Amino acid sequence: MRISRSAACLAVAIAAVCLSGLSGCTKADGASQTSLTVTGSTTVLPIAEVAAEDFQTANPGKRVLVAGVGSSAGIESVANGTSDIGTSSRDLKPEELTLGLVDTKIALDAIAVIVNPSNPVTGLTKAQVSDIFQGKIKNWKEVGGPDLEIGLVNRDEASGTREAFSKFVLGKADFDPTAAVLPGTGQVRSVVAQAAGAVGYISLGFVDSTVKALDVDGIPANEKTVADGTYPLWRNLHFFTKGEPKGLVKAYIDYVLSDEIQNTIVRDAGFLPITAGGK
Amino acid sequence: MADNKQAQAPEPDVTPYASDSSLSTISKATYFKEAALRNLFLLCACVAVAGVGLIFLFVGLKGWPIFEKVGVWQFLTGATWYPTKGSFGILPLIVNSLLAMAGALVLGAPLAIGTAVFLSEVASPRLRELVRPAVELLAGIPSVVYGFFGLVLLRPIIARLFGGLGFGLFTVWLILAVMILPTIAALTEDALRSVPEGIREASYAMGATKWQTIWRVLLPAAKIGIIDAIILGMGRAIGETMAVVMVAGNARVIPDGIFKPFLTLTTVIVMDMPYASGDHRTALFGVAIILFIISMLFVASIRVISRFGKEMG
Repeated sequence: MRISRSAACLAVAIAAVCLSGLSGCTKADGASQTSLTVTGSTTVLPIAEVAAEDFQTANPGKRVLVAGVGSSAGIESVANGTSDIGTSSRDLKPEELTLGLVDTKIALDAIAVIVNPSNPVTGLTKAQVSDIFQGKIKNWKEVGGPDLEIGLVNRDEASGTREAFSKFVLGKADFDPTAAVLPGTGQVRSVVAQAAGAVGYISLGFVDSTVKALDVDGIPANEKTVADGTYPLWRNLHFFTKGEPKGLVKAYIDYVLSDEIQNTIVRDAGFLPITAGGK
Repeated sequence: MADNKQAQAPEPDVTPYASDSSLSTISKATYFKEAALRNLFLLCACVAVAGVGLIFLFVGLKGWPIFEKVGVWQFLTGATWYPTKGSFGILPLIVNSLLAMAGALVLGAPLAIGTAVFLSEVASPRLRELVRPAVELLAGIPSVVYGFFGLVLLRPIIARLFGGLGFGLFTVWLILAVMILPTIAALTEDALRSVPEGIREASYAMGATKWQTIWRVLLPAAKIGIIDAIILGMGRAIGETMAVVMVAGNARVIPDGIFKPFLTLTTVIVMDMPYASGDHRTALFGVAIILFIISMLFVASIRVISRFGKEMG
């Protein structure tokens, strides 16, 4: 994604070399496998990595190698066998459907559009959100609010949240370049909490009482609406495996899907447990 | 204190060591000790020079390809900085850096010169011993602390008073003005103190008041030193990064108001470096080259002005 293809391939190759060096056994030999490689999305990285550390602590002698190289490179590496699990923040593209990959959804990533609690606007349409972030709508009165200038707060280009938001809301359009660009979710939230006209976006899991999440297309942003699929700004996070997971791969995936991990690591990373959804 | 400051900039025509002829009368052991020390200090100086040289070489080699790819002129005057879409124009960043520096100077320089006049000419010795450490302490505060102060305390106040998000030139000016104050104040105070006492006495003897003496005699006499102080302050302001990145808001355009977010030459490197790759990364080194050249210009202009001043005096 953000990392160039050659760098991604290199990372996968290095990971593969590390793997073969660490465990002499082949992948087919599932039961005695001591090491597995998880490669792919940087959005999924915080979950995969922290879960891997805990998994290793819980299963002495087992190794989980995690690399963040982007969703596409992750899917490619699991398809050609250099990784055991390819992580992705997007669904498979049509041309990837024939690769024989099995999808295990591990978390939900929903993005909330947030404003200052003093802002009387409670909801926007997706088109209005798009126009606001493109800089076409510059005043809250144009969307039924007070005569107050809109203060746009954007994320930096390294942000997975920005990438997802851009895809959901803007499509091919560009962000308004005059928007403030802040390097973290916490900063976006505190700036929006302190400036009356501000609007920004953060992962739903990080919304707290200092900011107000807007309804999008009339649907409030909460776990329930994300779960039933009505709230429009969300996506699944995936683990892809070549064929049904088994052995150590299955053990690791089951570990990530366990209630304990889902309610701690997944939520701490700002995502929602996959059990909250199901669609 | 004043003596200390002056020791930092020794006169080039003063040799800090005894000449060889005087060494011939001392013992061999002393001679070798002196020689060893001399070489040690030479080594120290070489490390400093090598450091500058290596950094310049490294940054230059890393950044040069972007000049070849987009052209130096296009790089400097291009109006769009959007590296992930292939636009490498840093004109907005240059303009923003200059705007940030100019405003900080307009606010900070008079304040600093006023402080220096107070310390050198007005304050009682006791008050001076209270105020001077306070000013010096300002210089010791890490810039990230200024930035944090600006982000958490100043920015929300400005957002409330003037609308918007609180990011922008105005906030940066306030922070930078305070940051450059100690630099300019200390050097201006030195310049004022180095004006011979006889000139003050002559002025008073002719019936001039304190204000007339300061305004008409002392400040003009210390002019060159004050200009040097201001240029050093400019260097500090244009090079400042951490404090600026936290309160500037980082929009890669020339802002259409002083309460609108903007990005500078230094802050673009902090913001983009974590994820930049390929030409984008090269372009950031290109920005570093430009910053290097700007700071060389500042240093060169101080040298030229000082020499000019010496010839006049």
